[in-house]
Amino acid sequence: MSSALLIEDLVKRFAAGKPAVDGVNFDVPAGEIVVLLGPSGCGKTTTLRCVAGLEHPTGGRISIGGRVVSEPERNLLVSPRERDIGMVFQSYAVWPHMTVKQNVAYPLKHRRSSNGSGNVDTKVRETLELVGLGDYAERPVTSLSGGQMQRVALARSLVYRPQLLLLDEPLSNLDAKLRIRLRDELRRILKQTGMTGLYVTHDQAEAVVLGDRIGVMREGKLLQMAPPGEIYNRPADSFVANFTGASNVLLGKVLERKGERATIDLGQVGRIEAWTPQPLAAGDRARVALRAENIRLGERGPANSFTGRVVERRYQGMQTVYDVEFGGQKLEVLELGTAARHQDGEVALTLPPDTCWAYRDEGQSAID
Amino acid sequence: MTATSATALPASDEVRPAPRRWGAPLWVGALLIVLAFLVLYPLLMLVFGALSDSNPVVDGFGAFRPSVKHFIDVLGNENVHLAFFNALAACGGGTILAVVIGLAFSWIVVRTDTPFKGFIAGASMIPLFVPPLVAGVAWGILGSPKTGLLNTVLKWVGIDFRFDFYSMSGLILVFGMYYAPYVYMFTASALRNMDPSLEEASEVSGASAFTTLFTVTFPLIAPAILAGSLLSFVVMLGIYGVPAALGAPANISVLTTYIFKLTAWSPPLYNTAAAVAILLMVVTAILVWAQQRVLSGKSFATVAGKAFRPRPLKLGRWRWFTFSLALIYIFVVVVLPTLALIIAAFRKFLFIKDFDALFDAKAYSWVHFNSVFDNPLTMLSIWNTMKVGVLTALVGGALAFAIGYTVNRTQVSGRRSIDLLATLPVAIPGLVVGVAYLWAWIGLPGGLYGTIWILALAFVARFMPDTVKALSTSFMQIHKELEEAAWICGRGMLGTIRTIVLPLARPGVVASMTLLFVLAIRELGSSLFLYTSDTTVMAVLLLDYYEGGNVGKTAAFSLVQTVLLAVLLGITTWLSRDAAQGSARVG
Repeated sequence: MSSALLIEDLVKRFAAGKPAVDGVNFDVPAGEIVVLLGPSGCGKTTTLRCVAGLEHPTGGRISIGGRVVSEPERNLLVSPRERDIGMVFQSYAVWPHMTVKQNVAYPLKHRRSSNGSGNVDTKVRETLELVGLGDYAERPVTSLSGGQMQRVALARSLVYRPQLLLLDEPLSNLDAKLRIRLRDELRRILKQTGMTGLYVTHDQAEAVVLGDRIGVMREGKLLQMAPPGEIYNRPADSFVANFTGASNVLLGKVLERKGERATIDLGQVGRIEAWTPQPLAAGDRARVALRAENIRLGERGPANSFTGRVVERRYQGMQTVYDVEFGGQKLEVLELGTAARHQDGEVALTLPPDTCWAYRDEGQSAID
Repeated sequence: MTATSATALPASDEVRPAPRRWGAPLWVGALLIVLAFLVLYPLLMLVFGALSDSNPVVDGFGAFRPSVKHFIDVLGNENVHLAFFNALAACGGGTILAVVIGLAFSWIVVRTDTPFKGFIAGASMIPLFVPPLVAGVAWGILGSPKTGLLNTVLKWVGIDFRFDFYSMSGLILVFGMYYAPYVYMFTASALRNMDPSLEEASEVSGASAFTTLFTVTFPLIAPAILAGSLLSFVVMLGIYGVPAALGAPANISVLTTYIFKLTAWSPPLYNTAAAVAILLMVVTAILVWAQQRVLSGKSFATVAGKAFRPRPLKLGRWRWFTFSLALIYIFVVVVLPTLALIIAAFRKFLFIKDFDALFDAKAYSWVHFNSVFDNPLTMLSIWNTMKVGVLTALVGGALAFAIGYTVNRTQVSGRRSIDLLATLPVAIPGLVVGVAYLWAWIGLPGGLYGTIWILALAFVARFMPDTVKALSTSFMQIHKELEEAAWICGRGMLGTIRTIVLPLARPGVVASMTLLFVLAIRELGSSLFLYTSDTTVMAVLLLDYYEGGNVGKTAAFSLVQTVLLAVLLGITTWLSRDAAQGSARVG
């Protein structure tokens, strides 16, 4: 089966200076949802807008459903309305001078290749039922709440069953509770309709719930594209590790590496076994990233077992955070559960080798 | 006025409860009296005039026989009906044209990649600064059915078509072209504030750019279109110069020209004029009220998530088409009339036999300029205009500062009434202000009538809403805490105003005074009824020349006026920009 969306070497340069999108490659098979995740200004929204045709790429090729829609080298550019895509905008962009029904029916009325426009009413009704707005068809759109407006926007982009659905931070204007509810519902609707989707967000939780695969972007480059589990357990890069929450860093020197296993010298506390995706060589300066919740406090495991000292304890009800001093470096450790079991002072600690990820040390700038 | 404010404000810097308690009501009372004197009294006299049949000059005020019948008689008069419907037709047609032009321009400037957009945006505002009478005169020279320059050109080219701007369609065309910027101002800012994803959503949904424009863009800015067209309608309704120049030769009277005609009759029909003026005022007031309603209504296009990234529509080759459309507009509205004025002013005789005669150097001379400046009235009118301008700017600026501060910055009771009185003139056309002031002062012996002050005070009243609004904006930008900090430091109210508010608001004050000055020196409508031979101003003298029938002199004086206006505008803009830079970091 061919990819619903294929992006090859996409480059977008606005004015002079660094390109906003810098050689991005990925594909989205039909029926899959890919999430682009990254901090603001990383180029994820620009990538999405290039796919929509709202932004004109400087280089590379974009194909939707096997048809090339944009290839600047050949002066090829298909307009947004001929790309057979749907799009949900961050600001909803529902038309305030129309009712809910008029908004949703609009694409059916104005698309050139309307497949059987006779059943507009049926399609609109079915789609409104799908997003849970069946009773709101005749309401003016301005009388709706933010969450309902976003459902209208979703219905409007689903009603004509486009080949590809683009979602540009669709939940970021909603309050926290609603965001979580709509996020889970969005996943259900997209899977129920079998939509192929490209979703852009800066929120990791959204990315993990919605994405079949997640692509982490930074400064116009796609750093890693993988299923959520892999992003969280095998981050390819110290930025990905840090951005997805591995906030502890231990600095050291590589002693030796065998395949994906590396041994790092941390100085006075000794050596640590770690996993690495990079071809580190003996003598390289390395930084080892660790998630706070992967550290075992009060346990002596078979490997990477050390002794540290709890200097501060912050009880947070459902979890406890400890600041642990460890050979001159500091670790933050998270203990789940309502009981805080460790006191200030000496404590045993195990850093399971699988959860210690070693990367080449390129300085702090590689992370911020 | 300065005397009242000195006694009305608490005199000392120390905050003692006793003087403060009396200070505020005294101050509010003084402001209310001044405003009543400027606005309410003339309006009451206007109503009085409309309801009586006594002539204030001949009879004095002794023989006041009030009767509603008189007013109703005037409303039933056929000539009044004719003037009323002519006004509606001219302004209605003009507004439709203005909407088409204004909307096209705002779309070209805000939404497309047409080249030289900045230049287009700037140049298309020029018509706002052209005095209506000058525009009317220029189009008379261009489009008069017999001697019009356009017709000479058409004859030379061999096209069997003749323009006639001395007609209703001529009026509509000139109105539409010159007042399109009002529509443009509203629609352009609405387009700028519109979330572009509203249009992008339509595009992604499969609609063409054209469909998007008419199903999404224009419906969304409908309130702005309506507000802009109501405003341009109201402005056209109050204009005297254009219908005087283009309507009079064809015997087309609109409300404004009809009112003036009534007072120019012998004996002057002041009562009828007052009644028709009230009719004009009521229509204006209703439209202004409607416009305010539209503006205060919920605006559509403001839902915004992140900062807009404007994406101008790529027009391709068509952008040269839109560019030439803009150029044609600027050519027709700015270049053509200027050329016409120059030709008419420098030619000894306007009659041009054929196209080649246009380039006959012998036919050109300074003779019209000489005769304009040989007339002692010319220099007198320029001098008077400057005096009125400065007086209006100073008195109006000071009063507007006092009103703006009281309304925006204090909690004194009565400030709502002050605000209301100061905003009232927004619904009164300049010409009606003139008639009202005429009624207010003509019968009082030894009063203001016949002095330069009556002109200045009428202008102060007429432009009060604009000035107060401009000043209020700059008051809003000064954080209340800056003032409170000075109070905490032990400064009194007056001291704080002098050391904190005034310096911080200075750019706003200078800008408002500049605005007042410019508005005052080009005002014709209200001057018409208030000047005497000693106090004639430029706008009135120009009308005199025009009605005298000498096109050359009219054109020459139009040019003198235009150049003078442009120079003064340049100087004042430069002055206020300087002031603005002086405290650019405020706010």
